[in-house]
Amino acid sequence: MVAHLNTTKYWVNDMTRFVLTNGKSITKPFNKIWIILGILIVLVVFFSYFIQYDPRYIVLSELSVLFEKLFTPRGTRTWSDYFAYMLTLKDPLISTLQMSFAGTIMGSILAIPVAIFAAKNIAKYPIIYVPMRFLMNLIRTIPALILALIAVMFVGIGVLPGIIAITIFTFGIMAKMLYEVIETIDMNSYEALESTGANKIQAFRYAVFPQIFPIYISYLVYIFEINVRSSAILGYVGTEGIGSVIKDNILYNYDRVGAAIIVMFVLILTIQFISNLIRRKLQ
Amino acid sequence: MTKTEQILKKKPKKWITNLIFTFAIIIAIVYSFSDSRINWKRFNSVGSYLNAMLESFADIDVDFLLGTGLYRFEEGVLFLTLETLAIGFLGTLIGAILAIPFSFLASTNIVGPKFAKLGETFLIIIRVFPEIILALILVKGFGMNALTGVLTIGLHSIGMLGKMFAETIDNMDRSSIEALDAVGANVWQKIRYGIIPQIVPELSSVALYRLDINVRSATILGIIGAGGLGATMVLAASNWNWSVLGAIMLSIIVMVLVVDGISSYLRNKLV
Repeated sequence: MVAHLNTTKYWVNDMTRFVLTNGKSITKPFNKIWIILGILIVLVVFFSYFIQYDPRYIVLSELSVLFEKLFTPRGTRTWSDYFAYMLTLKDPLISTLQMSFAGTIMGSILAIPVAIFAAKNIAKYPIIYVPMRFLMNLIRTIPALILALIAVMFVGIGVLPGIIAITIFTFGIMAKMLYEVIETIDMNSYEALESTGANKIQAFRYAVFPQIFPIYISYLVYIFEINVRSSAILGYVGTEGIGSVIKDNILYNYDRVGAAIIVMFVLILTIQFISNLIRRKLQ
Repeated sequence: MTKTEQILKKKPKKWITNLIFTFAIIIAIVYSFSDSRINWKRFNSVGSYLNAMLESFADIDVDFLLGTGLYRFEEGVLFLTLETLAIGFLGTLIGAILAIPFSFLASTNIVGPKFAKLGETFLIIIRVFPEIILALILVKGFGMNALTGVLTIGLHSIGMLGKMFAETIDNMDRSSIEALDAVGANVWQKIRYGIIPQIVPELSSVALYRLDINVRSATILGIIGAGGLGATMVLAASNWNWSVLGAIMLSIIVMVLVVDGISSYLRNKLV
């Protein structure tokens, strides 16, 4: 290829500079990919230092043993016991759903006023929307699990800490997603209503509300789906639900853990399916 | 009757359906709280707890935060935070690399619509499987260490990253590949000059977004022993050790805000 270039049009000076036959030279821009790759390699090496593990504890055969323990009945129990146990998980299943539902609804309702005051086009002064945004960013950094941990310390174990944690968690995401939606809406109708003499609340009700309501509902369904999934984790710190069943049995009854995992997985898939269906309808 | 009134009368009456929906939702909310096991009296003591919490949050143990003095560096919050970051970062990297072949399997452009459906279903299954359960399973094989955390995050990320990568590949503009075809480029040149410049910015932007999520979820993997801040956090919470918990929460908030900032800055630059 180089020989071909030499004889006809231009010759190659070095890797990055080409000189054409008419005397003009072209410099190939330096490819930034090498800098990025270099940074990436440095980061990988740096972070690898923190991943400390003991090779003696890596026993991959344990994984297949675990799978057998999880998904076959233990000891003298039979398959019918295994499936009968699944049916007894009805109560924790309902607790999980109650927790997620109540938390999602309350958090979403609390998010509405904050989202409105955080939107630049409705709350026109930075003194209103900046603190609101700071508040929701701060809340969003705290994982739901830590909220649940603290809620358990405050109100004890049960469904209530789960509801509180999910409420705060939902509030964080919903407020952020909602204010971003409110900022993108068409404000002409709002101004038109204001010019006809509607007050701010009326203008909001008839101009802004119809634009954001379907999106709000679709976010609500989406967050509900996330919350059902995360309530599996919340069980680990003392809230009720499927997660606590797994935690209670993890030390000795692997078959029950397996049954609970299957039940939870079916629940999550069902919720996901319904949520997708509703969201597709809304769009 | 004026015309306006006539038109107003024609307006569909939605209030009945609205009422039914509102009623159903109110019933569902009441039912959600109807659990008699909720001990409302616990709310009486919330105020004093909040006081204790805020007092000890203000009085954070600096030695513990930095891992100096009484504590070894490996026990300090600083080390654990870096470990959490490492889990999130390396997990995202592994997830992004593993997601590429999976995204090919889920992309209509490459394997055709029928196979793509299958691949997509597989990715959904990965995506909805809770991380903590995955970690619980992997802990048995890889031991209680940060490696388990990295693998958990990596495997779990495949679900979302694979789906987004597949969408990027499907939405790719094919005219540049045809143009390269027309000038006689070979397969490697087509990939190098036709495909990579198009998809790499989007893939990295998705991966950066996922990094943000992964750092958040790496903070909780510690509860089941997969490394990071979680283990110390749960221990501190069960001992009512507010000042340790405060140090951990502070570092989580700072870490998440920093990663969020870097990730969104880089994503804005890429797009």
